[in-house]
Amino acid sequence: MKLKNRILPGLAALGLIVAIIVAVQAERRPPPAQPVAQPAQAPFKSYIGGAGLVEASSNNIDIGTGVAGIVQKVLVKVGEHVAIGTPLFQIDDRDFRAALLVKQANVVKARAAVEEAKATLEDARSQYALVSSAGDQRAVSLDDVQKRRNAELLAKARLESAHAAVTAAEADVKSTQIEIERLTVRAPIDGEIMQVNIRPGEFAQAGVLTTPLIKMGNLDQLYVRVNIDENDAWRFKPQTAAAASLRGNRELKTPLSFVRVEPYVTPKQSLTGASTERVDTRVLQVLYSFPRNALPAFVGQQMDVFIETPEIAPVAPAATQSGGVTR
Amino acid sequence: MFRIALKMLLGDRGKYFGIITGIALASLLMIQQPGILISIFSRTYSFISDVALPDIWVMDPMVKYVDDSQPMLDTELYRVRGVKGVEWAVPLYKGNQRVRLGDGQLVSSNLIGLDDATLIGGPAVMLKGRLADLRLPDAVIVDEAGATGRLAKPASPGKKTEPLQVGDILEINDKRARVVGIARAGATFQSQPIIYTTYTRATTYALSERKLLSYILVKAKAGEPLANVTERIRHDTGMAARSADEFKDMTFLYILNNTSILTNFGFVVIVGFIVGAAVTGQIFYNFTLDNLRYFAVFKAMGATDRMLRRMILLQALLVGFVGFGLGAGATAVFAAITRERPGLSMTLNWQLLLGSSIAVAVIVLFAALISVRKVLKLEPAVVFK
Repeated sequence: MKLKNRILPGLAALGLIVAIIVAVQAERRPPPAQPVAQPAQAPFKSYIGGAGLVEASSNNIDIGTGVAGIVQKVLVKVGEHVAIGTPLFQIDDRDFRAALLVKQANVVKARAAVEEAKATLEDARSQYALVSSAGDQRAVSLDDVQKRRNAELLAKARLESAHAAVTAAEADVKSTQIEIERLTVRAPIDGEIMQVNIRPGEFAQAGVLTTPLIKMGNLDQLYVRVNIDENDAWRFKPQTAAAASLRGNRELKTPLSFVRVEPYVTPKQSLTGASTERVDTRVLQVLYSFPRNALPAFVGQQMDVFIETPEIAPVAPAATQSGGVTR
Repeated sequence: MFRIALKMLLGDRGKYFGIITGIALASLLMIQQPGILISIFSRTYSFISDVALPDIWVMDPMVKYVDDSQPMLDTELYRVRGVKGVEWAVPLYKGNQRVRLGDGQLVSSNLIGLDDATLIGGPAVMLKGRLADLRLPDAVIVDEAGATGRLAKPASPGKKTEPLQVGDILEINDKRARVVGIARAGATFQSQPIIYTTYTRATTYALSERKLLSYILVKAKAGEPLANVTERIRHDTGMAARSADEFKDMTFLYILNNTSILTNFGFVVIVGFIVGAAVTGQIFYNFTLDNLRYFAVFKAMGATDRMLRRMILLQALLVGFVGFGLGAGATAVFAAITRERPGLSMTLNWQLLLGSSIAVAVIVLFAALISVRKVLKLEPAVVFK
C-alpha cells in the first residue's frame, strides 16, 4: 500500500484516539468544594438540635437611668470588672446643685431665725419677770402682767417654730442631696461591662431603650439560651446531656449543664441575627450553662447545640406516607 | 486476495471518499447531537453536581426540580439536625434576585446563600479569590460565565464590555455587594449568572419574604443507608428528603417531560443514522456493482464464497473505521474546545462513543450485506458478457 493511501486511515486512527482521550477526560469529575470549616456534629445517638445564643449567667442587664439628662461622666470602660455599687456614669447635676445652694442658705437663714426667736424669748421672759417678781400687786396693772406673760408664751412658740423650720430646711437639703446621688448610676451586681453606648455630652433617656446605655452581666459562668422548635419540644427532657459547639470550628465544644426551662414558649428570635427578625415559629427556650474558660465564647455568639433525647422506637416505613413524598 | 480487495477500494477514489464522507458525517451527527443533548441535560442538574458534599437534599414536598425552590421555615434546619442518622445539616438559599449593573441594567441572577460557618455548597474551582473571603462584609462570589457574560461591566460607548473583577461593586435589590472571587461553576440550564454569598447575607439581599430556607443539605452518618435516613427525615419532619441522585433524576425528568428538547435532538440523531445508512449503503452498493466484473473473475478463478464475503467485509470495515475515526476525531476536537467555555458545549463520553461506533458498524454491515448478496448471486460468466 502506498503512503498516500495510509493518510486517511492514519488520520482516522488519530481521530479515534483523540475521541477516546476526550471521552476518558469527560469521566473525570472535579473534586467537590471542601467546607471552610466542618459542620457541627452531634455526639449523641438520639438528640434534638437547636440554635443557642450565649448570654451572661445573670442575664444581660441593660442598665438604664431613672432621671433623664445630659451625661456628664462615664466612669467605666467596656470589659471592666465592677463590684456591686460601683458608679457607672453620672448625669449632669448642676440644676440640683444650684437648688442645693439655695436650700443650704435656707438652713442658715432658718438657724438665724432660731437665734432671733431665742433673743425675743429672752426679752419677753425678762419683761415678764420684772412684773411677775414685783412684791406689790398694785405697782403693776393686771393687764400689763397678762400682756407680758402672753408675750413670753408667744416668743416660746416662735422659737419652736423656728426650730421646726430648721429641720424642714435641713430635710430639704438632704432630699436634694439624694436627688444628686440618684444622678450617679451604679452597678446593681458584681459583673463585667459588655457594652457602653453612652458618652459624656449625650442625652440619656429614662425608660426602656432599644440600645441600652450600658450592658453588663456576670460572665463567670456563661449561659446558652437554646431555641427548640415547638414541633420538637415534646421530645425535650430536662436533665439529659447536652453539648454545644462554636460555629466555625466544631472541635471547640463543651458539655453543658442544665439550668432551667423557660416555661413560656416565645416567638423565635435569635436565629438569623438580622435587624428585622421575621417571626417563623415559636420556640421553647432552655437554658444551659458552661464555665467561661471551657470555650473562647463571647456573649451574644451563636452556637450549635445538641440535646440528648431518649431513643424513640423507629416507626415502620409503611406508615410514613406523610409529606406527600412519592418518590 | 485482501490486498486486491483494498486496491479495488482505494483505486476508485471518488467512491472511496464518498463513502468515507457519508460515514464521517453520519457519525459526526450521531456523536455531536447526543453529546450536546447530554450536555444540556446535565446542566439541568449541574447545580446538584456542583454541591457534591452532601448526600441528601431536604426540601419542601412541593418542589418539582432544582430551580423551583419553595422556601421552608428556618427552624426546620434544627429539626432535620435532630433526626437520627444525620451527620450534619446546613442551610442553603437558592433564589432569583435582580442585580443592578453600573449602567442601571437589571440582570436576573441566581443567588446562592451558603451556610455561614462552613460555606458548604460553594464552588469547587475558584479562579480568583478564596471561598473563605465570603466572610468579608458585603462579599459575593460570581461564576465565571456570569462575570464574563451578563454581569460584565457595561461598556463605555464604542468599547467591549469588561469582565467583572475582584473588588467590583454590584447592587442586589438596592443593597451593596462586593465581588471577592470568581469561581467556575457548572453552567445551568437557564444559563443565569450565579452569585454565591453567605446564607445570612442572602436573606438580607433577598426581598423580604417570611420563609427563606430553600434547601437543607444533609450528610448521612457513615454506614447508614441513605434510604433509611431520607425515610426518617420524611417521617420526622414532613419535609421531602431526596438523595442527590434522586434529586438529579427528578430534575432531569421534569425538564425532559416539560420541554421538547429530547424530541428535537432525537430526531436529528435518527435522521443522521438513516441518511448515513442510506448514503453509505447506496455508494457502497454502487461501488460493488462497478467492480462486479472483478468479483466475477475471482469467482471464475475459483475464489470461494467465503473468501468473497470476507473481501467485501474488509472493504466495509475499512471505510467504516476511517469514516468513524474522522467523524469522532472532529467531534472530539469540538468537545475539547467547547469544554471549558460557557455557552454551547457538548459532552463526549465513552458510552456515546461506543453507541455511535455500534451504529456505524450497523450501517457498514448493512451496506456489506446487500453487496455480498449481489456478489454471491453473481454468475462467473458475467465477465465474458
